Amino acid sequence: MSVISLLRRGALALAAGLLASTAAFAQSGPLVTTEWLEKNLSDPKVRIVEVSVEPGVYERGHIPGAQNVVWHTDLVETVSRDIASPEKFQALARKLGVDKDTTVVLYGDSNNWFAAWGAWVFDIYGLRDNVKLLDGGRKKWELEKRPVATNPVAVKASAFTVAEPNRKLRARLTDVVATVEKKSDARILDIRSPDEFSGKIIAPAGFQELALRAGHIPGSVNVAWARAVNQADGTIKPVEELKKLYAEAGIDGSKPVITTCRIGERSSHTWFILSRVLGYQVANYDGSWTEYGNVVGLPISNPAGTVWTGK
Amino acid sequence: MSISDDGGALDYEQARRQSGAVEASTLPPLRLFIAAAVLIGLAAAVQLVGRHAEPAAQLQLSLILGVAFGFVLQRSRFCFFCIWKDWLDRRDSQGLLGILAALGVGLVGYTLIYGAWLPDPSGTRLPPTAHIGPVGPALLLAGLAFGAGMAISGSCISAHLYRLGEGSPTSPFALIGAVGGFILGFLSWNPLYLGTISESPVLWLPRQLGYGGALIAGLFVLGGLAYWLLRTGRRAAGPDAPAAAADPLAAIFLRRWPSWLGGLFVGLIGIAAYLRLSPLGVTAEIGSRSRQLATHFELLPSRLEGLDSFRGCATAIRDALLTPNGLFIAGIVTSAFAAALAAGEFKPKRPGGGHVLRGLIGGALLGWGTVIGLGCTVGTLLSGISAGAVSGWVFGIGLLAGTTLTLKLGRRLGLLA
Repeated sequence: MSVISLLRRGALALAAGLLASTAAFAQSGPLVTTEWLEKNLSDPKVRIVEVSVEPGVYERGHIPGAQNVVWHTDLVETVSRDIASPEKFQALARKLGVDKDTTVVLYGDSNNWFAAWGAWVFDIYGLRDNVKLLDGGRKKWELEKRPVATNPVAVKASAFTVAEPNRKLRARLTDVVATVEKKSDARILDIRSPDEFSGKIIAPAGFQELALRAGHIPGSVNVAWARAVNQADGTIKPVEELKKLYAEAGIDGSKPVITTCRIGERSSHTWFILSRVLGYQVANYDGSWTEYGNVVGLPISNPAGTVWTGK
Repeated sequence: MSISDDGGALDYEQARRQSGAVEASTLPPLRLFIAAAVLIGLAAAVQLVGRHAEPAAQLQLSLILGVAFGFVLQRSRFCFFCIWKDWLDRRDSQGLLGILAALGVGLVGYTLIYGAWLPDPSGTRLPPTAHIGPVGPALLLAGLAFGAGMAISGSCISAHLYRLGEGSPTSPFALIGAVGGFILGFLSWNPLYLGTISESPVLWLPRQLGYGGALIAGLFVLGGLAYWLLRTGRRAAGPDAPAAAADPLAAIFLRRWPSWLGGLFVGLIGIAAYLRLSPLGVTAEIGSRSRQLATHFELLPSRLEGLDSFRGCATAIRDALLTPNGLFIAGIVTSAFAAALAAGEFKPKRPGGGHVLRGLIGGALLGWGTVIGLGCTVGTLLSGISAGAVSGWVFGIGLLAGTTLTLKLGRRLGLLA
């Protein structure tokens, strides 16, 4: 082999490497833009996964090539109240053709609520930096009149091996109680509406109570999840604004954070922002108010002073 | 014989011919003018809904499909009971062949959509929103009651809706009766759910047979029935006779459409509705409003166990003034009115005591059967069989048995025509 051909090969390899790294750079953060995603729809290393709240949304039109994950059967155990077991998650990830070297883009309706919940579960099982949210989710994609498709695209299954569940990302009741009893220095961030937080109501309109007491976990602070989102297109606000928003409530990343809501799903949205966008140490408490507010004998803060649903 | 809505579709057609209604091959200007005005009004309604309601596209399309459905039902007299009666009384199978056509087209269309939405049917998931209901004794009972209601009131719910547009004296009372039946259905839901429905399996043929297998099996059964009907049925001198080859405008707006054509369009509208909105059904809005009414008067238990988790014509209370199914129904009635007017078939009649009584009693049975069967001839039978649901077939069997028995008994007692 001549020197020239060797040189040529080397230059080609270098160019290829550079190209690959620019592609990687474009998606190095935890969020991808709709524009980036549309350009990378046919990249075999990009796997798009829709996790929507409303059933049937995916089937009637999704981002071309996207796979479907149903949060209430695929990402949870359907009998016991728990996230999907490691075996179940591994089977799902394999079926989706997802592995550690795949760029996974999650998106969904309702400002990515359940896509963020998905990102949390993926993270627990060892898929973190390669998992992104589509900023603005389905809402922005539709607002920008980008195409949707209904034809199925088969994906090759992966050989993904599930990691030990990362306990640090998930707060359990004992962790929360330890914080309430000041045995831990974590800060609890409750992202429900101010009326739920104050105890005026137990659950948002249209939902059954499911907890027997109103109010919040003593010592927790309240920043409603939607305040982190631009209402117009569902995108997440700029980093500086987010830092300021949470710092005003005393959440600045100096102490570990526990996010909580009613059932732990909306709070995974805030978990994603604090953990992945701002880089704080955050655990999501998926038991949330429907667990804490139902436990006998635990202290509760109820500024509204309601008894059951009234005064 | 008079033009009344009590007879079968064939009776109706023959009476019409005798009275000379079909002879004109052009539309009289006044009728044309009013019918066109109604159509322009509908177009304006579509435009208004697009501007002022949310989600605009969904609501607009519901109204448009309702208009199309009402027109097709009225023009082809796609009335399940009349069709059944034509066969029972005269072995005229044309109408039944139309229903089979609708089911066959629906089955093919649904299978095409399924392939895209749920490529593998073997898992635990069902295709979104398809009307695949629980199969058990309650479903059969619902079919029997619904069939009895059809025989007594003279139509199923979808046919009462288009007949409302024709000025039928029975239909308004049947629909009022249906509201009462819905409330009775909600009241009996909890015991039936706890006693049997909660244990009833939800059976979806593609899960066992695959898409190809379910499609072939379905078409085989429909084809077998069609062959049998063609062999045994008599082809009465109806609208399908060669004489119908007249002026195309008259063929569309004046003459009754051949039933196979009606069936074809019903199937296609069903596919369009499933693809873009939700499976075809005509009772969700009536059911939901009845539930709202009964809840308002505190007649219902605070929880209807499991009801809202089933597939079928959902009766969950909606807050919105305009709902997709509400607009769909409004479209059916209004366009049936326009179609009837143009064809000279709008014949409002003062209701007599018999109309009121049969409407109310039959309607109540229709309503009760709809709640327990999670839909009617359209929502459970048509959309269910198209969806590959066993529930569609079982409801259909109950319905035919119920309507035949009731009709025979009613005639023996001299109560039914």
